[in-house]
Amino acid sequence: MNGLYVCPADAGPGWREAMEAGIDMSLIESALEQTPDERLNEHQQVLDFALEFQRTPTFDASR
Amino acid sequence: MPQDDKALLARLCQSQVDFVIVGGVGCVLHGAPLLTYDLDVCIRLAAENLYRIEAAVKDLHARHRLAANKLPLELTDELCARLKNLHLQTDLGRLDCLGEIEGVGDYGNVLKRSAVIPLAFGKCRVLTLEALIEAELAAGRDKDVGAVRFLRAIKDRPKSAGRGRREKSLTNFYVNTR
Repeated sequence: MNGLYVCPADAGPGWREAMEAGIDMSLIESALEQTPDERLNEHQQVLDFALEFQRTPTFDASR
Repeated sequence: MPQDDKALLARLCQSQVDFVIVGGVGCVLHGAPLLTYDLDVCIRLAAENLYRIEAAVKDLHARHRLAANKLPLELTDELCARLKNLHLQTDLGRLDCLGEIEGVGDYGNVLKRSAVIPLAFGKCRVLTLEALIEAELAAGRDKDVGAVRFLRAIKDRPKSAGRGRREKSLTNFYVNTR
């Protein structure tokens, strides 16, 4: 994914380090386009999904 | 168990608790795309403030999460004088109220390095980006190292990646409280 990402020339060292660590920088870019409320709401949606997933019984491969 | 950070924050605001959002939710508010399973706030360790917290969660079956016997939250003046942190499990999720933040200091120091932001239910204080980085570095756990990577990237974000266009750094939302 980051192989296609062109790092802006004015990016600081922290941005470059994250990119080189393999972080999908579009995740940060899209978060930065949101308001604080939108960030909290999106986090809540992901959290609800993660907690629901954890409650799901493990798939039984023997069945 | 659900985890509803907005509802917990709204209750703290409504009960006029003196607190600053720190930890993972603080990182999320600054734009870090990470997932956190609890709400960490730094609180003023004074009896009146602790009683406000108790009032905020009084109908949520709050319990001391880390105590072996999971005792319900029932504050007394004597207990308030001894408390340094409150690690609570409530019907709305985990709420960690911390008297001190590693790398930053006590509530007074945290307050100085916080900013007010508007949220749907009211204004809240959140630790600044620079102070959050220091706190996460001081904590030094694996998950904190990941958070630091996001926070440093946000601090060093390129102008061409949105600044002045659609980008909404949390500093754009800081409310002048002077």
